[in-house]
Amino acid sequence: MSNSEIVNVVITGAAGQIAYSLIFNVIKGDMFGNDQKIKLVLLDIPAMIDGLRGVVMEIEDCAYPLVSSIVCTTDVKEAFTDAHYAILVGAMPRRDGMERSDLLKANAAIFKVQGKAINDYANKNVKVLVVGNPANTNALIASTCAPNIPKENFSCLTRLDHNRAKAQIALKANVNVKDVHNVIIWGNHSSTQYPDSRCGYINLPTGKTPISNVIKNDQWLQGEFITTVQKRGAAIISARKLSSAASAAKAITDHMHDWVFGTPEGEYVSMGVPSDGSYGIPEGIIFSFPVTIKNGKYTIVQGLPIDPFSRALIDSTHSELIQEKTSAFQFIE
Amino acid sequence: MDSALLRINNISGHMTRSCPMRREFGGQQFQQQGTAWSLINSGPCVGRASPIKVLVTGAAGQIAYSLIFMIASGQMFGPYQPIQLHLLDIPKMADALKGVSMEIQDGAYPLVHSVLCSTDVQSAFTGVHVALLVGAFPRGPGMQRKDLLKVNVSIFKEQGEALGKYASRDVKVLVVGNPANTNALVALTKASELPPQNFSALTRLDQNRAASMVSDKVGVNVDNVSNVIIWGNHSLTQVPDVTHAIINNYPAAGLTSPALSTINDDKWVSESFMPLVQNRGAAVIAARKLSSAASAANAIVGHMRDWLMGTKQGEIVSMAVISDGSYNVPKGLIFSFPVTCRNGEWSIVQGLKISQSIQQKIDITTKELQEEKETAFSFL
Repeated sequence: MSNSEIVNVVITGAAGQIAYSLIFNVIKGDMFGNDQKIKLVLLDIPAMIDGLRGVVMEIEDCAYPLVSSIVCTTDVKEAFTDAHYAILVGAMPRRDGMERSDLLKANAAIFKVQGKAINDYANKNVKVLVVGNPANTNALIASTCAPNIPKENFSCLTRLDHNRAKAQIALKANVNVKDVHNVIIWGNHSSTQYPDSRCGYINLPTGKTPISNVIKNDQWLQGEFITTVQKRGAAIISARKLSSAASAAKAITDHMHDWVFGTPEGEYVSMGVPSDGSYGIPEGIIFSFPVTIKNGKYTIVQGLPIDPFSRALIDSTHSELIQEKTSAFQFIE
Repeated sequence: MDSALLRINNISGHMTRSCPMRREFGGQQFQQQGTAWSLINSGPCVGRASPIKVLVTGAAGQIAYSLIFMIASGQMFGPYQPIQLHLLDIPKMADALKGVSMEIQDGAYPLVHSVLCSTDVQSAFTGVHVALLVGAFPRGPGMQRKDLLKVNVSIFKEQGEALGKYASRDVKVLVVGNPANTNALVALTKASELPPQNFSALTRLDQNRAASMVSDKVGVNVDNVSNVIIWGNHSLTQVPDVTHAIINNYPAAGLTSPALSTINDDKWVSESFMPLVQNRGAAVIAARKLSSAASAANAIVGHMRDWLMGTKQGEIVSMAVISDGSYNVPKGLIFSFPVTCRNGEWSIVQGLKISQSIQQKIDITTKELQEEKETAFSFL
């Protein structure tokens, strides 16, 4: 996409908390660069339209040069027409007393409608990032209902988990987080995710050092490290009494930025993408893998060793995704 | 050097090996113009960039939640300046503050070298180069202006003393917590060791809102509106002034037009424009059911960035700073003026023509500030 064209960026759940942090990252240039003008399209449900208008007032009061125009809408056709990038933050949240199957059913309905709208109205090369939970399965539903859009264009967010994993390694190793590289998040953006430090390294003054040579504590790397990352969301809610909007917005920004601009040589990031048989995960689900990105296309990193410990965790998160898929798909027939 | 500082210096040494910001930051506001504050590292990965210590008070609150992450991503000090964050709030907010620091960690920001969470003024203020005093006592139901002034005087007296005792000698201070002008004046007065020029209060949000109203009226993008001025107090007596404002790229790209003649509606300017600006905050609250945290945070970033990095050629911004007699405003008030910035210093733009009606309004806001000052100082 040349910089002289305006890109149409759709954000759903636009009156919500994650969007409130996200929108200002997007229009500042962090996501698409400082030369890319943006038409910002904000979608939410009718009950949120006032809140949405308030957000637009604030965007206007920021005087960002990259904002070419802003559209607020409650209509999916208007929202997704000619979209180049779609960030699907909005989803039905879990309420008290709601069973998992209720949650899946409610979200299947939302993502079926949005997937179809993307299919019918969006730019054919639209890149889609699903954030609203259950993210992997919601992305799969949207993709399934958008047969005219290449399935590689649908992804879900595990970059937050990836960034959290980097942060935990940095804290334990007493280094700056920018020196931690190539941690991996495998699987579902849920408590079955597998944060994997085995292929990661830390930039020390002496050179690139495998994480396990810096943090010489397998028990921690296979134990507390994993559970801390898995449960980090709950820990933030417990402290803030609100969920982690700002760090989620940063992860969304990182995911989209890297998808557009590519990753540095040798650097892996984690993205929830359609499985293709890699690492024993058959086609048909959205699974978080280590990827590199070039020219707007991601490639799953091949040939990484999978030991029995990792195999078990990868299989477990895979099973959960298959179950979610089975439950959810009965609602979209 | 204590061990934490040693560690930070070691870490920042790695910046020579790989630039922390892959992203293409080359946008207008960070173009090297040779006019930045000497403390800021403006060039890519130049040697061992020392982290700048930045204090945010009210750090568990809503404005800070938007602000902190803008700072962490490099929007305030540029993409090459590492940061040590000091976050201060009251003990009741300690858990929420911890949650914020966890989110900063989870943001994996290359520029953030450390985060200090504190409920203690001394540790929070020690060594800070930039102090963003967002926290203040909010107005409760039934609270009179006098009560509000009294409780905030005690906060900003303590913080002014802390700045004088513990902060870096060249600390730059921005007061946001209301009543901002008078709170800044109290802090400045109690930090007698520090130059009054290093204290300011925020009227940038009002300036941005005023520009937004003008852009709406004229039908241009808001980033094409420059040099709207806010005079006076950040309160209902503020004076938004378009007399010297310009519309860029109008009527065609590369041309500029004076805002007044482009608006071509003196009645709107004198009757509608000011109430629109003054009521914008309330309008956002009515729509969002929450106050305008993100746009306030953006204004804070803009104010500091222009102060430290310098304003562009021909650009005027509004900052509430210590008055020096300019424009008939008596010395010794924190008053919003049109300024330009260079090498980390602001200068009041001199010689602007002021209409009689604007001067009358300037006199009113001046009077209000004098009264606030008298009341506040009676509590000192």
